[in-house]
This record gives sequence, C-alpha cells and structure tokens, in this order.
Amino acid sequence: MLKRISNVGFWLITAGLFTAAMVRLIINTPDEQTMGPIQKIFYLHLPVAINTFLACLVAFVASIGYLATRKTWWDDLAAAGARVSVQLCTIVLLTGMIWGKCAWGQWWTWSPRLTFSLVLWLLYTVYLIIRSSIESSERRALICAVYAVIAFLDVPLVYLSVRLMPDIHPSHIELAPEMKATLILFFIAVTAFTAGLIATKYGLNRVERGLHNSSETRATVATVGGFASC
Amino acid sequence: MFATLSPTRASFRAKPLNAVRLTNVGKRLDERPVLRDISLEIAAGEFLAVLGSNGAGKSTLLKLLIGMITPDEGNVELFGESLRTADPAIRRRVGYVGHQSMLYRDLSARQNIAFFAKLYGVDDVKVKTDAILRTVGLLERGDDAVKTFSRGMTQRVSIARALVHNPDLLLADEPFAGLDARSSEGLEKLFTRMNAAGRTIIMVNHDVPQSLRIAKRAIVLSNGKVESDRPTDNVDPELVLAEINGP
Amino acid sequence: MNATAQILHLVQKDVRIEARSRQTLGLVIVLAVLIIVVLGLGLGGRPAAFDATAVLWVAYLFSGVLCFEKTMNVERQDGALAALMIAPMDRGAIYAAKLISNLLLMFAIAIVVTPAGVLFFSFDLSAAPRQFAAVMALSMVGFAAVGTLFSAVASSSRLQGGLLAMMIFPITLPLVISSTQMLIHLFRDHEPIGGLGLGILVAFDAIFLVVSWLVFEWVLEP
Repeated sequence: MLKRISNVGFWLITAGLFTAAMVRLIINTPDEQTMGPIQKIFYLHLPVAINTFLACLVAFVASIGYLATRKTWWDDLAAAGARVSVQLCTIVLLTGMIWGKCAWGQWWTWSPRLTFSLVLWLLYTVYLIIRSSIESSERRALICAVYAVIAFLDVPLVYLSVRLMPDIHPSHIELAPEMKATLILFFIAVTAFTAGLIATKYGLNRVERGLHNSSETRATVATVGGFASC
Repeated sequence: MFATLSPTRASFRAKPLNAVRLTNVGKRLDERPVLRDISLEIAAGEFLAVLGSNGAGKSTLLKLLIGMITPDEGNVELFGESLRTADPAIRRRVGYVGHQSMLYRDLSARQNIAFFAKLYGVDDVKVKTDAILRTVGLLERGDDAVKTFSRGMTQRVSIARALVHNPDLLLADEPFAGLDARSSEGLEKLFTRMNAAGRTIIMVNHDVPQSLRIAKRAIVLSNGKVESDRPTDNVDPELVLAEINGP
Repeated sequence: MNATAQILHLVQKDVRIEARSRQTLGLVIVLAVLIIVVLGLGLGGRPAAFDATAVLWVAYLFSGVLCFEKTMNVERQDGALAALMIAPMDRGAIYAAKLISNLLLMFAIAIVVTPAGVLFFSFDLSAAPRQFAAVMALSMVGFAAVGTLFSAVASSSRLQGGLLAMMIFPITLPLVISSTQMLIHLFRDHEPIGGLGLGILVAFDAIFLVVSWLVFEWVLEP
C-alpha cells in the first residue's frame, strides 16, 4: 500500500487537491473580520499541525512495532514518520510565527501553543540526531524506537504543562460555512501530502538499507580477501 | 531379573548430563552473520578449547552461553534448561572471564571479590574471598585498589571474581592474556585441578599447543561454523593451525 | 538475596566507590555553582528573584546529566556492567540501583546548590520551603528516571559528550515548565501548589519510571 501511495499518480492527485484548495482559498473564501487576509495562513497552519501529530503517531506505532517484532521495516517506517513530523512541525512553527508577527507584532511569544510546537520540534529533531550518531544498525533501531516511544508519551505531558503558561492564542475560532469547507479541503490535501511524504521517505529508507547491506557484504568480503592474500 | 535391570539403570545414570547444548544456533550482528547453524553438546566435566582466527565468532559463542546476548535462531541450553526460559538463578552455576577485567578499579581486590560473592549469594563471603585470593596468589595485595595492579595481576583478580562462587561451568575468554610465564603455569594447573574436580571448562585461546595440552577436546570455529571437533589426544598442532588459518 | 537486598547492595557499592574515588560529587557541585555564577553575571548582576528557579533548573539539569554519565562510566570503565548483567539477578535491579545512586547524588547537589542560588538571587524561600522542596524532589525523580535509562544507552556509540544531554533535556521540559510555573504562582501570587501542575509531575514520574524499568534491559549494553 505504501508503494502505491508514493507513485506519480498519487502525487498528481495531491497536487490537484492543493491547487483546488488554493483556488478556493483565494476566490471563494471571505477574509476574516479582525485579522484580514493574513488569517488565511490558518488554513494551512491547522491541517499541518494536525498532520504533524499524525506523523508522530506513525513514528510511535512503528517504534512499538519494531520493539515487538524487531523487523527492520518497522524501523524504516518510524524514521520516515519522525523525519516528516520534523518537516511539518517546521512549517507549523513558521506559519505560527508569521501569524504571531501580524496578530501580536512579535515573531515569537512564549504562548502555550507556540511553545508546544517548539518542544515537539525539538523532541523529534533529537530523534533524527540520535539516528545519525549510532553506527550499529541494530542498536540504532532499538534505541531510536525506545526514544520515540518515550518522546511520544512525553507529548501529552508537554501539552498539559504549557497550559499552565499565560495564553494569548485564539482558543476557539468561529468559522463561516465557506471557511469550514476550505479548511476541510486543505486538510485533505495536507493529509495526502503527509502520507505521500512518509511513503516516499519509507521507500528511500528501504532502498538505502538494501544498498548498505549489499555494499557492506562486499566490503567485508574484500577485507577478508585482503588479509588472506597478505 | 535384577541383574538384567541394573546395567540399564547404571548406563542411564552414567549417561553424562550435558552442561551445554546448542541446537542450530545462529546469531547476526548488524545483519551480518557471526554464528551460523551451530549445534554442539558439551558434557558435564569436559574441558573444551574453542579455537579460530579473529572474527570467527569465538567470543560471541561465549557471550551467548553466558546470556549476555540472545541467539536469533536456535536454542541454548545450560544444564538442561533453555536460557530463554531459565530462572536467572541458573547463572549462579556459571563463571565468566572476559576480555575486560569486569572489576571496579577504585575498589580493592578484596572489596571487588566480596561484592560479587555476595551478589552470587555465596555464604561465608570473607572466608571464600580470602581463599580465592590465596589461590590466585594475591592475598597480600588484597587491600590495594585494583587500579594500582599490573595487567597480569588484574587478570588474576578477574579470574578470582569468576571463580569465587564455585561455578559448575567456567567460560573463559583468553584467560591467559597478559599473564607472565609463572602465572600462566599456575592458571593451567588451576584449570586442570578444577576440571579434575568435575567442573566443566570452555576456554577460548589463541595458543594452540597450550590448548591442545590442557584441554580434552578442541573445536575450531571458522566463519561462524564449527570447522572441526575432536579430542585433543595425539592431534598434530600443525593440522589444527592449518584449519584455523583456512585454505 | 532478594531484589531489595540486591538493589541495596549495588547502591552501597556505588556509594563506596564515590567515597573512595570522590570523582563525581565535588566536580559536579563546582560545575553547578559555576553555572549559577555565570547566569547571575549574564543577567547583568541584577537578576530578578524569580530568575532563580530557571537558574537552579539549568544548574540541576547540567550537573544531573554529568552525574548520570559518571555513575554509568564507573560500570563501563572495565566492563563491570557485563559482570552485573550476567549475575543471578533481574536486570531491573541494576536500573533501580543506578536510579537510587543518581538520586542520592542529585539530592547532595541540591543541598549545596540551592542555598547558593537562593543567596545569589535573593530568592526568599521562607514563605514555602517545604513546597519548594517537594516540587523539586518530584521533578528530580522524573529527571533521574529518564536520565538513568538513557545513560545506559550512551555507550559504544558516539553518544557521549553532549548527546546524552540532548536526549534528556527535551524530554524533561514538562517538568521544567510545570515546576517553574508552580513555583512562580506559589511565591509571587501566593497560590498553593497542586492541581494540574502537581498532576503533571506525578504523571511524568509514574510513566517514565515504569517505561524505563520495562525497557532498560533492552537498551543496556556492556
């Protein structure tokens, strides 16, 4: 299934969805009263934020899968999920900061939700750093899986703890029906985009692992052969 | 009637219990096979030398037996119990000498030995500690910190640590490394004595003539497989060396 | 020996090594005091009283990570950890013992460092010293639970030197956020601690103690 998601046809559909969503956003969606046109960034911000969380969930489930079965493809899926969650979380942070600059005149405020996104971004960036710093593929998979489980369990605690901080984030937004339709369209497009990213990254990870194994075998053979001929 | 029965019973009783049994054991490290399809039975009271070139899987084999790593395929049994399901208490019957000293360098030799003795549930810790320190010839230096010891002395403390709980099975990974001629001879004698008292010994060693001299059975590992397996009586060391070095 | 006796035996060994070598405690306390001084100066020499909680946290976090690294190094130096792993006991006992040893060290640090922070930052603890101690103690249990787990990871790999801190700090941020918020409410607004903040601390401790204890055996590498 993951293979089918990462093919060209799927990407074309996703691009089509995005185009439709953008067209609808520009032509058919009214400006919000207080914020004006900049509020439209929200249609991207919220779906991406939700998908960040979904990508984290993929990493978490795949990590549990790896710990339970010790099959390498789970590890590759977890890595793909974590990488995509960092990429999406970067978008969430950037759109959030642009919003903050327009709404409150500051690029950064320690508002609960911005802080939450930042901590989430840190948690999963560290995951990627751990991945790149362990050489043994078995240890890497195991330790990353343990870290991913712990990081994911940490997410609700972060979410609860930032609620102790003073808040100026819009807590609930009343949306007109046209706005809701645009939001849903964006949500579908972004979710398709996320699924495509994860599937593609997963495919790359699989290929890379296959290449790595075969080249390592060759290297071992070469070393052994070299010693024998000495 | 009794006469016909008793030989069977006797032979049943005499059938030596396996200290170690490996069935089709395979182990991969980072997707590279280190041990492949190893089946091996080592009877209680045997003295086995494991020979082979670097990277043949000798240390990995010992680590599997000690339970430090688990096999990917196959089964490891110690004293008839599978390591997968065995109670940790079975480790009390096993002693292990590794590449590293596995000691705390800031503690004295005596504190180290006593610590592990107590961990293994040895009673009369003080007496046993002194006894084993005397055996390895370090009774006088017992209260000095291990970090002040030479490599050979550290190795002797390490051997004392592995033996203080009087294990039935001793796994020794190059126990002679770093020992001078006299200590080496002493350790040979100690091993022979232990073996004569019914202890099973499995030893990884690079010195082929020495291994053939003290062990009763020798296996050669090559590329993670058992290349040869034979008693050490009247074996030509050159033949074994040729097997180790491969074609 | 039963499990409790084994854990105590291991802790006793750690304490004895620390008493003989004095490797960790002195070094870590000096580091923590240095951090407080640097931050005090960096804040312009006229820091606000409530900066103290943040400054103390930074000192605790960095000295804590150094503690975790050092106490695990004692086991790793000559491979003693392998000897513990093959000893006839549950490997959870190794985790529990290391956790207790780390907590003992951290409490020792806190006893020295907290007065220093309070003094340099004119932070008046007298209004609620017991609540302050309770919040910090609860936070440290969670911090040490995660730290002890990851200190077992950072071994053969290139994980040492900074990476352990990198693994632990983001995970412990809920502790930092909740405890500082609670302390600010406690000392500035004279609101009692409790509710959500305390719940987060307790939940953090419970979740990560259980999870760490469960997975410790897997990540432990001699």
